[in-house]
Amino acid sequence: MPETTTRTPYSTELPPVRPGLRAYLWAAFGVAGAMACAFLLHRFVPHANLSLVFLTGVLIIAAKWGLGPSLFAGVASFLAFNFFFTTPFYTFAVNHDGDVATLLLFLITAALTGQLAARMHDEIAKKQAGIRRITALYGFAKRMTAAPDANSVLKELIRHLYHFLESPVAVLLPDTEGKLKVSGGWPSLDGIPLPLDRLEAAWKVDASPPGCRGLSFLTLGTARGPVGLVAVQREPLTSEEEDQARALCDQAAIAIERTGLVTDLEEARLISETEQLRSALLSSVSHDLRTPLSSIIGSSSTLLEYSSKIAAGDQRDLLNNILGEAERLNRYIQNLLDMTRLGHGGLELRRDWVSVEDIVAAALKRMEGALAGFRVALAVDSDLPLLHVHGAFVEQALVNILDNAIRFSPENGPITIAASVAGEKLHIDMFDDGPGIPEAEREMVFDMFYSVTGSDRHPRGTGLGLAICRGLIGAHGGEVEAMPGADGHGTLMRITLPLAHTDES
Amino acid sequence: MTESSGTILIVEDDAPIRKFLRISLEAHGFRVLEARLGRDGLELCAEEHPDVVILDLGLPDMDGQEFIPEVRGWSSVPIIVLSVRSDETEKVTALDAGADDYVTKPFGISELMARIRTAQRNRKPSAETARIKAGPLEVDLTRHEVWLGGEPVHLSKKEYELLKLFINNPDRVLTHRQILRDVWGPTHVRDTHYLRVLIGHLRQRLGDIPSDPRYIITIQGVGYRFVREPETE
Repeated sequence: MPETTTRTPYSTELPPVRPGLRAYLWAAFGVAGAMACAFLLHRFVPHANLSLVFLTGVLIIAAKWGLGPSLFAGVASFLAFNFFFTTPFYTFAVNHDGDVATLLLFLITAALTGQLAARMHDEIAKKQAGIRRITALYGFAKRMTAAPDANSVLKELIRHLYHFLESPVAVLLPDTEGKLKVSGGWPSLDGIPLPLDRLEAAWKVDASPPGCRGLSFLTLGTARGPVGLVAVQREPLTSEEEDQARALCDQAAIAIERTGLVTDLEEARLISETEQLRSALLSSVSHDLRTPLSSIIGSSSTLLEYSSKIAAGDQRDLLNNILGEAERLNRYIQNLLDMTRLGHGGLELRRDWVSVEDIVAAALKRMEGALAGFRVALAVDSDLPLLHVHGAFVEQALVNILDNAIRFSPENGPITIAASVAGEKLHIDMFDDGPGIPEAEREMVFDMFYSVTGSDRHPRGTGLGLAICRGLIGAHGGEVEAMPGADGHGTLMRITLPLAHTDES
Repeated sequence: MTESSGTILIVEDDAPIRKFLRISLEAHGFRVLEARLGRDGLELCAEEHPDVVILDLGLPDMDGQEFIPEVRGWSSVPIIVLSVRSDETEKVTALDAGADDYVTKPFGISELMARIRTAQRNRKPSAETARIKAGPLEVDLTRHEVWLGGEPVHLSKKEYELLKLFINNPDRVLTHRQILRDVWGPTHVRDTHYLRVLIGHLRQRLGDIPSDPRYIITIQGVGYRFVREPETE
């Protein structure tokens, strides 16, 4: 018990119920004190009253040391009083009958008050012990409620029981296969020799422990049934001890059940979140794949079935439609693949020196079809330094924010791409003239599936594009932010890439 | 592109889909109105009185589910819902709100054309013709009599009511809720088991095999469609 000596809620600090030699010495000392007082006083007070001085001494001793010392003090005081203060002095003989009566009364009073004081003393001691026990139990209960998991509950229970019963304690819990195992013990994990096989058998039958020499068992049980056994290396326990220990076990069992519920709840929450993510992914994927497919199937079936009725220009439009939508489908699939790679950390950067103009041009080329019908403007500084990045990834990030800009722009709206150096960093800005993003949502648009949670209001929203964009740029140590556009109109999407990488290589 | 077959309003935010719809509908002689937003669609619907509305459920400014009751407040124009959602509850909600039919994306153009034709035909008042023919099936609505291949068929009151509902709404999806409300009343809209039993009986009377019915087609999770011109064997 080395490290727990500071907390001994049940160790007996009560005054000794059977007083030792010390108490009698104190009693003798008290009588001597009373005698000294009597000598000082006997010139001023009638000598019969001196007995009161001795009586006071007896009372004090009785209150302090209990019955035995008080009787001892009573007899000693009686003898001292008789010897020194009754005629004839310095003998135990007594001349006056009155003195005899005084002495007898004195003895009786000493015995009675001594007993009363001793009883009161015992009561107080008991009450104090009770209060200490309740305080300890309260502390235990508090720690039980605060215990974050079953393990700390058990640890607390074992330590508490150990100090209460002053005997080695062990807790046995069934493992996942229902086999009883020692899950904790004090002062040591395997300090108690346990007949595990017999316990096991008894546990399987009705969860009640068998009788074992030198061991007592308590069941850890909740409303739902027994959850484990507590073994104490002492036999038998007094009924009071057993009741107390049972109360502790019950409390611990409830706490274990509670921690179990907390864990269950946490797990349920995780599962439901995963479920939500999965269903969002499914609905996003099905939406994003089917929308372009609808145009492809619709346009091609129109061509197949009604081509004779359709003008040449319209036929060409339909073919362009099919091509553009097939490209869109391809982008979505690329996004899905990127997302999977981002999710699995399988993104490997193959950095190389590329110019910003090349990346912007490549992204615009890929989006050529989708950008038709928008006014695209470029404001790329001519003397930009080369970037040391994985070109395809930055291009994909640009494509994704372009796709986003197209989706929210009015028809024939302006889309501006600008690139500039700001200190150690490079900004690639994309302005659109869409409805803009409310401030509260500027961070959320980068969350996966943000645009599809709730409803598919944003009809072409992948819910992935911006999340992937941020992932791709983040892999380069850069960042993507959404800001209000120029004059507060539309949206500015800013990709920031560090130029510091140039020094590294 | 000869005579005008009518005006069709397309409410759809996806430009490529609008494009092929416009081309194919115009090839069939329809006048085509397009709206990208639900609000614009509502306006056009009120101003131009289209003959059919093709509505996408996922609009940027409002959910298509809100669009339908809005239109139904003042118009009975046939609404055909386009949706990528394969979720049955979406379809049921749209149909219950007053949509006439739905087509799930992606779809072939002929499927949509067939639905448009059905929607147009159903809108023309059937003039309460006393005698309706559907293949070998004949129903006399004034005399409450039914013949199958010339032989009289005896139906219970509920079976007859159900058949009457079907024959007045041919080739159209009726949701469980709509049928239950019509045949049993508004307090029974959840008692789909009544409906399943009654459908079973009616199919038996009409000589339909449940695994391969001619007349009453089950739309799983949505309702039933009555086929007016069953393929003859």
